[in-house]
Amino acid sequence: MNAHVFVASAKLELAHLNRNRAFVALTVLAAVSFLVMVSLFGLTGSYAPTALIDLDGGPYSESLIQSLEGAHHSFRLLPMSAADAQGALRAGRLVAIVTIPQGFSAQVERGATVAINVEIDNVNIDLTNDVQRALPAAIADFGRANRFPGVRVHMAEHDVWPRDTAYIPYLAVSALALDAMMIAGILGALATAREWERKSVKLLRLAPAPAGAVLGGKLAVAGGVAFAALAVTVAAIVAIFGVLPVSFVATLATLAACVAIFTCFGAWLGALLKRTLAVAPLLFGLVMPFYIDSGALEPTRFDGDRIWLIAHASPVYYAVGVLEWAYHGLHVTPEPVYVDLLVLVAMAGVCVALTLGSFARGGQR
Amino acid sequence: MIRAIWGMARNDIAVWLRSPAAIAAALLPALGMGILVAVLTNSVGQQPVALVVEGQGRLTKRIAKIIRADSEAYLLTEMNAAEAERAIGEQRVAAIIVVPTDFDDAAAYGNAAIDLYLNNVDIDLADDLRRSVTRSAAEFDAPQLGLLGELHGPSENLLLPNPYRVAISERDLRETNVSFLQYQVIPIVVLIVVSAGLLGTALLTARDFERGTAKLLILSPAGHLPIVFGRLLGGTMITLGLVAPLVAVGFMARFMPPIPSWQHGAALAALLVAVTLTSVGLGALLGIAIRNDRLVTMAGLNAAVYLFFLGGGFTTVAFLPPWIQTASRALPTSYAIEGLRQALFYPDLVGFAHNLSAIAAFGVASITLAAALLARAWRRA
Repeated sequence: MNAHVFVASAKLELAHLNRNRAFVALTVLAAVSFLVMVSLFGLTGSYAPTALIDLDGGPYSESLIQSLEGAHHSFRLLPMSAADAQGALRAGRLVAIVTIPQGFSAQVERGATVAINVEIDNVNIDLTNDVQRALPAAIADFGRANRFPGVRVHMAEHDVWPRDTAYIPYLAVSALALDAMMIAGILGALATAREWERKSVKLLRLAPAPAGAVLGGKLAVAGGVAFAALAVTVAAIVAIFGVLPVSFVATLATLAACVAIFTCFGAWLGALLKRTLAVAPLLFGLVMPFYIDSGALEPTRFDGDRIWLIAHASPVYYAVGVLEWAYHGLHVTPEPVYVDLLVLVAMAGVCVALTLGSFARGGQR
Repeated sequence: MIRAIWGMARNDIAVWLRSPAAIAAALLPALGMGILVAVLTNSVGQQPVALVVEGQGRLTKRIAKIIRADSEAYLLTEMNAAEAERAIGEQRVAAIIVVPTDFDDAAAYGNAAIDLYLNNVDIDLADDLRRSVTRSAAEFDAPQLGLLGELHGPSENLLLPNPYRVAISERDLRETNVSFLQYQVIPIVVLIVVSAGLLGTALLTARDFERGTAKLLILSPAGHLPIVFGRLLGGTMITLGLVAPLVAVGFMARFMPPIPSWQHGAALAALLVAVTLTSVGLGALLGIAIRNDRLVTMAGLNAAVYLFFLGGGFTTVAFLPPWIQTASRALPTSYAIEGLRQALFYPDLVGFAHNLSAIAAFGVASITLAAALLARAWRRA
């Protein structure tokens, strides 16, 4: 009986979604757009556009330029004239101008210390900090590369992970959690809010069929569509960024779990707000702060106790923890991955219970 | 005619105020983005680091002092080795800097190392720490490579010799740094204007088609033109009514820096009005095209996301690949964000006229097109 109801409900939901193809397509587009757009943020996390005015052209200036280029992905050096550089800096198109003075190589050869002129557009403190730290790092590398005497201290690095994860692939995988929340959340919400919008919730309550089976059928279809959209997104990440998951099976299983959980979350939101028009912007509004306060850019723990504690209220925190582990093999939450997953499952259980409660109450009004 | 325009505008405002979902649609994504920026501020600049000083010598104390003094780069906690290992395991710190026991002896032979144990979970975080620790190490032999030396050394004609043979003469373009939060709040203001103008007007327009009230509007004895302009005026007033208090709060709470002069203030107001008109025109066009409130909401949110991100909302467009820069030039938000930053952060208004002209052109085009198409769409409804 329950299976029969489940299948019937799923078929009905599928028919509804089929009639709302444009809405589903726009939901998927929104989620994918977020992924693409946060990737743009990653493009500006390094390689600050910096004008290079080399008035020397000697061997040591070449060596310094090499060190600047190798300074931890800090500079995108753009050789240009002083006038062009000034214009670009004042128009906000450059972070800094580095000028290597005339006679630089000759003076360095003689053992003298030469000052290079650096003009920084300090409008953005993050980029200013990066440049201010990267220049001494480049100069230290220049000194070591040329084996100048008198250098006594260097840094010896020991990494926790065998290789660095590039920033965009890291961000893109975090964005999968955001996408899962957005697509599955909105489709889950659509499945329940529709019952109030069309006033069919009373019919559901009066029907002899168990509410759990009806809800299960609706959410299975919503989740299935969301999972298909996310699978395409994963394929896009692999194709565009060329980064393969550590484990495809774990990644897809984790995504499936996230989709199931966020579909339940969306269903509850739909039952709570009872209007699709309200749910979509609410989820849009929620996902971005949830996303940032979830270890999306770096482990949330590094942002201090307060932000880390707040992050525990966000399902995306646990989802990012599980997804970064499945895709890149990274641990970005202090909690073990299985704890993250268990919390997500518990959240989903609570959401389902609350949704069923709303269905029951909805029929009484 | 003016009475008819005003009547239509008042009606739209009343309808909108009775639609909490529409207000939520306009404000929530933008406010969410605002919270995002506030949270992001915490991730910028400093990283939590454990410092383990194992030696006791004079040079050990000196390098430790250099590291402790760089509070602009590190959120430093001094620990012993075991505590630090636990802290990095529990992600309470992103890295451990160890000054080893033999530091003084090694320094005497010119081969001292400070060890950086780094949680290189992503390259952005890892590079931040690599730059900072390399600077601290370099500062040991070349004090002028520290931040104070960069700012107040050779640039103030004080050049000390150092073994790296290069020093930095830094000159900043501005007297004060704009905080990261202030820098990022500007696009949020633009997003609020775009969301409110676009979604507010689009939902009002779509609603008339969905409920069949478009037919009643076209039968009004007031004529087409006043009704059309009333709709656009209503959308404009709704948007400005939402945005003005938020901008005022932004200034009072210092999320936005003080306006440098009255010319800058006038420029700011002109720009906000131009963006509002553009958004209202685009909203009316969206409503005419889609005519379904649910679809309008999703399409409007999508449009706002693209306008925000590609307009330089989360990044500086000039730092993106050339093809994105080209695409960005076709969006009004790129001129709006650039113009607002110019009006609030820069002492002069160089390039502002260009930005304002571009947005005004978008505004005139979208309003004219919306007015023409709205009347036609109502006639055919």
